[in-house]
Amino acid sequence: MTEKLNMILGGAQGSGLETTIQILSTAFASSGNGFLADREYFSNIKGRHSYAHAKISAEDIPRSIDSKIGLLGCMDAETLFTHFEDLVDGGYLIYDTSTEDKTQDSIKSIEDPLRERLEERFNEIGIDGTISSLVEYLKEEKNVEVIELDYPSILEDIQKEFDISSSQASRYVSSILIGAVTGLMGLEKEQVDKGIERKFEGKEKIAKQNIFLVEKVNEMVREEHGSPLKLEGAKLDEDELLMVNGNEIIGMGKITGGMRFQSYYPITPAADESFFIEQHASFEDEGSVLVFQTEDELAAITSCIGAALTGTRSATATSGPGFALMVEGLGWAGINEVPIVITYYQRGGPSTGQPTRGSQDDLMNVLYSSHGNFPRIVLVSGDHEEAFDDAVKAFNLAEKYQTPVIHLMDKFLANIVKTIPVPEIEGKKIDRGKLFDRKDYKRFADGPISERGFLGSEVMWYTGSEHDAEGNVSEDPENRIRMHEKRMKKLKIAGEEMDDRAIYFGPEEAENLIVGWGSVKGAILDAIDEMKEDFGYLHFRCFSPFPAKKVSSILEKSEVVIAVEHSYSPRVSEVVSLKTGYQIEKEVVKFTGRPIYRDELIDSLVNIIEGSDREVLKHGP
Amino acid sequence: MARDYGTENWIDWCPGCGNFGIVSSVYRAFSELEVEPENTVVVSGIGCSGKMPHFIDVNGVHTLHGRAIPFATGIKMADPKLKVVVNGGDGDLLGIGAGHFVALGRRNLDVLVMMHDNRVYGLTKGQASPTLPRDTKTKALNTPSIQDAVEPLALALTSGYTHVARSFAMDSDHLKESIKDGMEHEGAAFLNILQPCVTYNDIHTSEYFNERIDKLEDWDPEDIDPTEAMDRSRIDEEIPIGLFYRDTETPTFEERIAEQLPSYQEKAPAEQDIEKNGKTILDQETFRSKFKGNLIRKEK
Repeated sequence: MTEKLNMILGGAQGSGLETTIQILSTAFASSGNGFLADREYFSNIKGRHSYAHAKISAEDIPRSIDSKIGLLGCMDAETLFTHFEDLVDGGYLIYDTSTEDKTQDSIKSIEDPLRERLEERFNEIGIDGTISSLVEYLKEEKNVEVIELDYPSILEDIQKEFDISSSQASRYVSSILIGAVTGLMGLEKEQVDKGIERKFEGKEKIAKQNIFLVEKVNEMVREEHGSPLKLEGAKLDEDELLMVNGNEIIGMGKITGGMRFQSYYPITPAADESFFIEQHASFEDEGSVLVFQTEDELAAITSCIGAALTGTRSATATSGPGFALMVEGLGWAGINEVPIVITYYQRGGPSTGQPTRGSQDDLMNVLYSSHGNFPRIVLVSGDHEEAFDDAVKAFNLAEKYQTPVIHLMDKFLANIVKTIPVPEIEGKKIDRGKLFDRKDYKRFADGPISERGFLGSEVMWYTGSEHDAEGNVSEDPENRIRMHEKRMKKLKIAGEEMDDRAIYFGPEEAENLIVGWGSVKGAILDAIDEMKEDFGYLHFRCFSPFPAKKVSSILEKSEVVIAVEHSYSPRVSEVVSLKTGYQIEKEVVKFTGRPIYRDELIDSLVNIIEGSDREVLKHGP
Repeated sequence: MARDYGTENWIDWCPGCGNFGIVSSVYRAFSELEVEPENTVVVSGIGCSGKMPHFIDVNGVHTLHGRAIPFATGIKMADPKLKVVVNGGDGDLLGIGAGHFVALGRRNLDVLVMMHDNRVYGLTKGQASPTLPRDTKTKALNTPSIQDAVEPLALALTSGYTHVARSFAMDSDHLKESIKDGMEHEGAAFLNILQPCVTYNDIHTSEYFNERIDKLEDWDPEDIDPTEAMDRSRIDEEIPIGLFYRDTETPTFEERIAEQLPSYQEKAPAEQDIEKNGKTILDQETFRSKFKGNLIRKEK
């Protein structure tokens, strides 16, 4: 019996893994457990290895995952080859016995470097490289309990039972995995059925067949192995949880925040957000959100600005390559004081880089991209809860200070599926800022924050050129000073007014301080809970305006300061140095695009305490 | 009394510039149509034509090089009650912004695009634009252009514009009527306006155009195939001007959106209330029911 379980479920992209995760996560949550799953996949539609790496907890909502797993569920042989070393001693393995003769040579989708590493490893441990030899090794040397299921014969049974075609039956592999996992974890039938019915809503026949299959496998597994992975005493108080990935929670935040226009050009890992908003676009009484797929990112940002000029709360969502095309538009919004929100999910760069892998390497890009200078607000979110609040807040800030807001997150957050309490909606503030209410309107009069009018209410002019109070082009030097100062002062005002731009977690006087932002938050908080030394965590929520005073005062108190980031060299250290003069000397970085695992972070912090200056994390296939 | 649509800004085009003809035709067209300044938006790109909004007393949005169309698209989609007119140069619309030019046709959004076509990039000193014929050497070029010209009307027709016309900057009556027609059309309208660049194009001068221009007569722009309009609009020895094509059947983008979002026509994005007493209009119950697909109840 246990309270937390880390597991990996893997299979070929497009083979039903997504369905498995959706059904299982629903089952876990409805049984009162907290759930968090990272999704790893290639830039590929069908065939390449894809997996979900999850933590299920009976006592809380997980914040991070461990590299070492207690359960590995394989839909195919490649999953076992890829992840067998992740299993803890005494862990559980579910696999398809019909693949026992397979060797890695027969699997074309395995990349060469992994192939070479596997060959080396198989030689080391002295096995012939077949699945059966690998399973034997795990049993003998790692005390792994193996759940052996003959997938084709199980599918054949269901084919006969329901008189369906073999191709139809082959789509039910995901249910074999669900049956085995829920059996081992001792989930109740009602909880599992609920997940399946929900997934196949309106397709009763398919739901029924899947339920039949899941139950059958569940019983087989229980009979032979019992339910050794049953999580004891689900302690979550909530009667109701929200099961969301980052794209979805941002969509919910934007809708709550009054966004009514979203433009986008398809890009991983941002496009799902727009798709989700579109699915929920209509309100019964209040109207709808217009989601607009443009011809490119140049049009995404500029149509977003156009919509914002009419007084519509407008946003666009993208990733690094898309943002690169948006930069000229961003500058236009800056000089014209247009409230827009750019939701930016980082992925590995430069160029196409690692399109489906995570990164935090774009901080400087959002802080300094564009020629010229204008105020921009940069919010960063560390988890789903923060992301929701920031998604609402971004529009308030954009309108209050009449300037672009960039909401920076990453692929990890975008794709991580997590249970969270239902956010408090009522009372969410909507601040539209200073609006115009007079004749002889001049868009850029007075200030620093002028009265904002909407196209369609009064006559006004906008131009990307330096302009006078009326919005007409002016190259006069004194006007230039006046207008440039007017705009830049808004950032100063925002800096005086905005709270909670940096948050400190930990004991009042911690000897060691970790500095970070974004999705490293969960692993850091979980890691420092386990360290025997005192650790504090300085978590950024906003980089512009930069909370220099607060950050300096926290940095001064600590002896050892460590930046943790998904980048080659921490951007956060560069920004802190630039803004405070403080040099962060130590760093833990990861740039493989795989998440930072709690256990590997703990190991690296131990090394840092023992004197290391730089730790490069590498775990995760 | 008819409204004067001029502004107090000094117009800084070169003396004799074709843009004077265009802006004065805009004044006349707006005046005859009695357009409401606060509900009309002139959107422009960059270059000499980009300055247009500052000389017209309606809302003016002077945008980025090539991006006038997507700016206009966002404005029109968010607030369809606005009358939106794009003014762009040939380089702006068919060079750096060609993708958007095509996209607007595909959508048939109710926007009029007026293309100032002088075949050169004026403000950067006369480089060849996408409408300058191959082997032409205007006086600012070192060597003749070795790139072929785009035929703007053909591109508009294949892109899906439902109102396609050509006019001439120096024929104020013809141009004024063409602008009015374009503004009154519901859907994406394209008006190609030939004009001289007195400073950099010594070949395609007013005289050049005057000698070749041929006004369309006995031509019914409706109920024809776009390819027929394409043939008729082709520039050979003569330069035909007039309305070549009009299609009032194809649904506008606004209509297509309304089909998917029924509330769009009554409550466009710009018309919606998003707050009540400084708070979101969503309440907890609406949120829960809206996102019920993500809600999971604990099974006892």
